[in-house]
Amino acid sequence: MADAGAVIAAVRHSEHARHHSLTGFALAFIVLGLLFAAVAAWRGDVFFFRLATEALIFGGLALSVDVLLGYTGMLSLGQALFFGLGAYVSALVLKNVLPSFWLAMAVTLAVATLAGFVAAVISTRARGVYFALITFGLAQVVAKVVFNTPSLGASDGIIGIPVITIDLVAFDVDTASAAAFFLFCLAFVMALYFLCAYLARTPAGRVLAAIRSNEDRVPFLGYPVGLVKVLAFVLAADVAALSGALYPMLRGFVSPELLYFEVSGNAVITVIIGGMGTLIGPLYGSVLIVGLKSVIGSYTTHHLIVIGTLFVFAVIFFPQGLVGYFKPPLERRLAARRAAVRA
Amino acid sequence: MHGLIDALQFIFAPQIVNGLSIGVAVILMALGLTIIFGLLDVINMAHGEFYALGAYLAVSLLAAGVSFWLCLIIVPVLMLPVGYVVERLLIQRVFDRRDRHVLTLLLTFGLGVVLEDAFRLIFGPNTVRMETPIGGAADVFGMYFPNYRLFVMAIGAVIIAVTWVVIFRTRIGAMVRAAAHDRQMASSLGVPVARVYSATFAFGIGLAGLAGVLLAPIYSVFPTMGKDFILLAFTVVIVGGMGSIKGAVIAGIVLMQVQALASLYISPVWTEPLLFGVMVLVLMWRPQGLFGKLGNG
Repeated sequence: MADAGAVIAAVRHSEHARHHSLTGFALAFIVLGLLFAAVAAWRGDVFFFRLATEALIFGGLALSVDVLLGYTGMLSLGQALFFGLGAYVSALVLKNVLPSFWLAMAVTLAVATLAGFVAAVISTRARGVYFALITFGLAQVVAKVVFNTPSLGASDGIIGIPVITIDLVAFDVDTASAAAFFLFCLAFVMALYFLCAYLARTPAGRVLAAIRSNEDRVPFLGYPVGLVKVLAFVLAADVAALSGALYPMLRGFVSPELLYFEVSGNAVITVIIGGMGTLIGPLYGSVLIVGLKSVIGSYTTHHLIVIGTLFVFAVIFFPQGLVGYFKPPLERRLAARRAAVRA
Repeated sequence: MHGLIDALQFIFAPQIVNGLSIGVAVILMALGLTIIFGLLDVINMAHGEFYALGAYLAVSLLAAGVSFWLCLIIVPVLMLPVGYVVERLLIQRVFDRRDRHVLTLLLTFGLGVVLEDAFRLIFGPNTVRMETPIGGAADVFGMYFPNYRLFVMAIGAVIIAVTWVVIFRTRIGAMVRAAAHDRQMASSLGVPVARVYSATFAFGIGLAGLAGVLLAPIYSVFPTMGKDFILLAFTVVIVGGMGSIKGAVIAGIVLMQVQALASLYISPVWTEPLLFGVMVLVLMWRPQGLFGKLGNG
């Protein structure tokens, strides 16, 4: 049985290296974000702050797609459903109930958990492409209904969402201040990231990875596949909805476009380009995509041709994505350093 | 009694005919999807965009002075090489990788994104209207039906029948079914599997293009027309059973009748959730859909 011990040690070792390299990417992301904030604040900028905040918010959505796709192997083509749900719930609470950040977040979380559970029961019974198509259909149907519901503003959406002050115990953040709200969103989205990264390392998270590897085998090992899949789906729904809830605070309005397939599809593109199964990759991917859209957008409105083509090339030639491509060298360097420390 | 007959004649019958004519078009789309899935295991997310491409080609050809009837032949023929090239360049590249289900879905999805934006770039974002090639209405037992819808139903039925004959009664069809059943075995018996794959994909794309031409005069032509239609086609394919031709035809007829008749009672906005609900129920009862895979009928 010495061999089994050696295998376990090797697996632990490689998991350690993987975890450390990904944490490295996450810390680098925070540092880059702070650097950007410093430069932008020095230049007295607003536009790029808003753009970067949008990248973070859509990064949160992409993160939720990666929780499903990268960890469990479930391709969701309807994650915009929860993103839009979060945006609408947050907008309604802020506008009609109370302009309180924490109340909006709490209500969003409750509604998203419930909706996520219902959607999970419908969709996680199906596998593979069936799952993808059901999530696609669910989002499409809900988007149509919202688009045609006058009390939700129908095609116009909801406008006039008030500027709020986020009450953090030590200090307040005003959403009207581009810099402060950017820093807040950076902290918020990174908190979501670290939560997901932590959950992925718990026993339940390991079952997710096992399901991705071989779904038929897992039940024989005594793990409840159905339950774990539902939990993963609800987690992803919550992450997407909480990210979406930030959107009306940034832009002051919500519209049915947030629920459309374009948003879901964009999130999938972001995950693939950033690095599937890394969780931090989607955040880098989102910065890349939002930045690219903005740059191309200044020349032409047809940015989708460029991004779609880029995506197709990424799937064929570059399936590990940005972070996936740079991870192995970093892992090797970390492993070498550990070896050097030990020696 | 008189009221009932009137209701049948003037309310239900036209709706049923409407449902049938849309149903036939949806079945053409669903046939392409289901054949491609049954043989290649590929979900073609760009199918809706190929449908739109067919419609746009028809619009351009009409503008160039080609008659509608010629379009019905030219457009599908033009679509065949497009489908062939797409299969060769995109699908084949990832076909042997482990998670090819997801990869091919992503590839065709990316292609759809590019195509849709290309339509917007080339033809503009606005809706293009098309003259109805057959005007007037036919008087059937005192009920008036637009001639063009009757024509769509007839030609659709013919195409469905031809597809069935080709797949189940010809040598080529036998090759397709053999390749779907067991790729290695078919290959070792001399079936040129790679070419059969490409040709089948091209055939499915051709059907989508044909559906685009046929429906362009009924709906209008706009860049996102595929997105609106593809969900219906997917619903039909899932309910009928992925890869089943019989399933696509039956589910297409039944679901479109449900939609047509339900819209008499509920707002048309809610008919799509209704169909989707039917699909979810079917999936809970039979996860593989009503009928089995290609080759089993």
